[in-house]
Amino acid sequence: MFPCISFFQDVQKHSVHTLVFRSLKRTHDMFVADHAKPVSLDETRYSCFVKQYAVFVLPSSYSFLCEIKISCVCVWVALTADTQIHRNPSEGGIHAMALALPPSQARYLLQMMHGRSSLLEGGGTKNSSLVARKAPTMPKPQWHAPWKLFRVISGHLGWVRSIAVEPGNQWFVTGAGDRTIKIWDLASGKLKLSLTGHISTVRGVAVSTRSPYLFSCGEDKQVKCWDLEYNKVIRHYHGHLSAVYDLDLHPTIDVLVTCSRDATARVWDIRSKANVHTLSGHTNTVATVRCQAAEPQIITGSHDSTIRLWDLIAGKTRATLTNHKKSVRALALHPRQYTLASGSADNIKQWTFPDGNFIQNLSGHNAIINAMAVNSDGVLVSGADNGTIHLWDWRTGYNFQRIHAAVQPGSLDSESGIFACMFDHSESRLITAEADKTIKVYKEDDTATEESHPINWKPEILKRKRF
Amino acid sequence: MSLTSFLPAPTQLSQDQLESEERVRAQRSHSTALVSSRREPPPPYGCRKSWVPRSLEDFGDGGAFPEIHVAQFPLEMGRKKKTSNALAVQVDAEGKIKYDAIARQDRVIFSKYSDLLPKEEAVKELTEKTRDALMKQVSQKIAAAMPVRAADKQAPAQYIRYTPSQQGVAFNSGAKQRVIRMVEMQKDPMEPPRFKINKKIPRGPPSPPAPVMHSPSRKVPVGKVYPKLSPVFRLAADGRGLQIVHINENFAKLAEALYIADRKAREAVEMRAQVEKKMAQKEEKEKLRELAQMARDRRAGIKGHGGDKGGEDGEARERDEIRHDRRKERQHDRNISRAAPDKRSKLQRDQDRDVSELIALGQPNPRASSEAQYDQRLFNQTKVTHTHTHTPAVGFAGGEDGMYNVYDQPFRSGRDMAQNIYRPTKSSEKDMYRDDLDTLMQSNRFVPDREFSGTDHGRRDCPVQFEWDPFGLDKFLEEAKQHGGSKRPSTSRGSKDYDHDKKRRKE
Repeated sequence: MFPCISFFQDVQKHSVHTLVFRSLKRTHDMFVADHAKPVSLDETRYSCFVKQYAVFVLPSSYSFLCEIKISCVCVWVALTADTQIHRNPSEGGIHAMALALPPSQARYLLQMMHGRSSLLEGGGTKNSSLVARKAPTMPKPQWHAPWKLFRVISGHLGWVRSIAVEPGNQWFVTGAGDRTIKIWDLASGKLKLSLTGHISTVRGVAVSTRSPYLFSCGEDKQVKCWDLEYNKVIRHYHGHLSAVYDLDLHPTIDVLVTCSRDATARVWDIRSKANVHTLSGHTNTVATVRCQAAEPQIITGSHDSTIRLWDLIAGKTRATLTNHKKSVRALALHPRQYTLASGSADNIKQWTFPDGNFIQNLSGHNAIINAMAVNSDGVLVSGADNGTIHLWDWRTGYNFQRIHAAVQPGSLDSESGIFACMFDHSESRLITAEADKTIKVYKEDDTATEESHPINWKPEILKRKRF
Repeated sequence: MSLTSFLPAPTQLSQDQLESEERVRAQRSHSTALVSSRREPPPPYGCRKSWVPRSLEDFGDGGAFPEIHVAQFPLEMGRKKKTSNALAVQVDAEGKIKYDAIARQDRVIFSKYSDLLPKEEAVKELTEKTRDALMKQVSQKIAAAMPVRAADKQAPAQYIRYTPSQQGVAFNSGAKQRVIRMVEMQKDPMEPPRFKINKKIPRGPPSPPAPVMHSPSRKVPVGKVYPKLSPVFRLAADGRGLQIVHINENFAKLAEALYIADRKAREAVEMRAQVEKKMAQKEEKEKLRELAQMARDRRAGIKGHGGDKGGEDGEARERDEIRHDRRKERQHDRNISRAAPDKRSKLQRDQDRDVSELIALGQPNPRASSEAQYDQRLFNQTKVTHTHTHTPAVGFAGGEDGMYNVYDQPFRSGRDMAQNIYRPTKSSEKDMYRDDLDTLMQSNRFVPDREFSGTDHGRRDCPVQFEWDPFGLDKFLEEAKQHGGSKRPSTSRGSKDYDHDKKRRKE
């Protein structure tokens, strides 16, 4: 009759306030999925207790209460089918459903009068009514399968400094410290072609999506355009005063942007080799540059710890982001969202476009970050100068995996470092260029599940000042 | 028997009576009035058969008349207004009324994440704009580098109709407007650039630096002890680079205070030294003054003594006085010369003067010579003068004008000229070249492979060998040799030749 009494005696150590609060919280979590559903009444229980005017708090079956006062009558509700199954519905899933449904069914309010019971009939229909939910205070990170090494390609005679994947996903190109550019087959990893021509380390390569050209830049101040039909250099872009560290192609306009140790980035017209704009403003080596179709069209990161967003039409800086304390060596643009991640030795920061508003810090990778890449699934990879790779969930900043691959036999352990990393166009393979002269290819571990690799996320609850 | 018969007449009329009186008055003055003051009020109910309210006053203070089947707008209510700030009701895809149209009237609201992503049309438009701008830049650069082409086609002429502000018969010959034809000025395709652009000027100031948004540095806790490492590693792994050092402010304050104290102390010492010096100077002056006073007193005392003795002897006294004065003068001069040696005495001054100054001052020549002195320029004149004037005419040349006779002798006579030209003697060359003379003479090193037209083939016997003698120098030298310097060579003739030749060559 009163199974609850013993239950009460068991937990008598806690105060009533604590008990009430805890139960309230747990019940809320459990029932939040069918928060807006009409309450179904359990006749027997109701008839037992309604006369008593007692308040009983049990975690197993409970209805959602807005307020509790000791003197009020609580309504007993049976567990609906939904709630029984989904013990712990993830809020991300709820949110996704809420977005998917038409707005009319997403808004339902359950009226609970204080002190009265609501006799609403209605079964629990699956996925029918969803909440006017408050914003979750702490989103849960999305689960990603862990990545594992599955191929090591050796062939270069110097550090492999840069990678680019062909738009048709058949082959990829690497530039190395042995002054050669090598083209490898993506599926098999075999060497297809070796191109020589640079006088010093090849620091950046890019393959054009609009024409059969390959662009490369090196520490010998040269920027070369190779015609892939003839495998020859057809153009040189002359103008940089010092080593060229990185280059990128504009997705829609036939324009190439290169950045260099002379603290400038230069915009070149591909066909005429003219230096359209010289983007000056940085005070130290510009280490990385990225181009996109939307504003801002050019983003550069430099060794003076600033990131500049540029206006390509005027050739002037739109915004300068000075939050980093160490040099910014890596930038990654999210393919779907309109956001940016920048990596430096202190931490990785996320920003929005077009104004460069700061979102959050991803801290934990305490090493000089040389390269970053983002997936459409929201996997961010950061490769460091000490050979470690950290994999992060983009939205929450949860570091779900750390890899430190072994160096190839014959190399010293100190020769581990990552200079470039890139996803292929299917986003199923991660290719990294390393300091032990190899190229390592990673793929997702298919056998892993959420149970085998659970999310172990302990975010900081304390609100820190935004920086 | 009504009440009104007993009551006195009212002093003030009621509203109706007032109105009726007004009406009567109006009717009476209907013909003379320009504007009728009031319309008739609407007829009462039942009598409105043929009456239609047309204006606002026709409604009186009431509303519309339902029995009159005409559209009525009392107080202008009910008319279709062209502008209204009422929102039209909108309905969304499911048939529900969009109540959030009220909130969305004048602002943009984003309610989904996809609203923040740029729209495709916006991106395309931006791409086009960027491409055009870049193309323009590129074409400008290319055109600057390209060689000359045919002249650009000018835009067709524009015609402008202009109405000047100053109008009149005098301006524009009476016409009210002018038509102006605007044509672009032709650019010369062969014209080189007009402005120099190779000048290097220093860069302008950079844009103001962005504010640095760093998080505050982490303070190292006071008792933190770094792990003990070997000294070699300590230098590298000290962790100094990772933390920012925090120094207490009071160190700086202490340093400042010491600095200030040091400065003050130095100032005080200086001031004291100066004051002491001044005091010492004052004391010296006092001493000197006292000494002088004593000396004066002594002299005065002696004098006073002497004066007392010879009081009756007037002349002796005068002479004594004169002597005394002279002695004093001498002493005075001696004192001055001793005290101020820089000042020169009269004799010394005159010794240092230049002769021209002495002449200017009118002082006599110190050198007094007995013999008569003559002007040196009168001697050694070798000029031929006319007989009738025996006087040596320096500068006057005996009345001859136009003669260039500042110099009476040639610069260097021909004999000297001949002597000064180098002529190689027939002396043996052995002493110069020793024994290698033969080899030197036969060496072919200095013979050119290919000669040019003007070379002199063969040896030469004098250093400069003339072929043609434009100046008549040979003849000149011959003459000089003959005359040997006794006769004055005719330089004028030579110069005449020269001038003549020069004139010839010009022609």
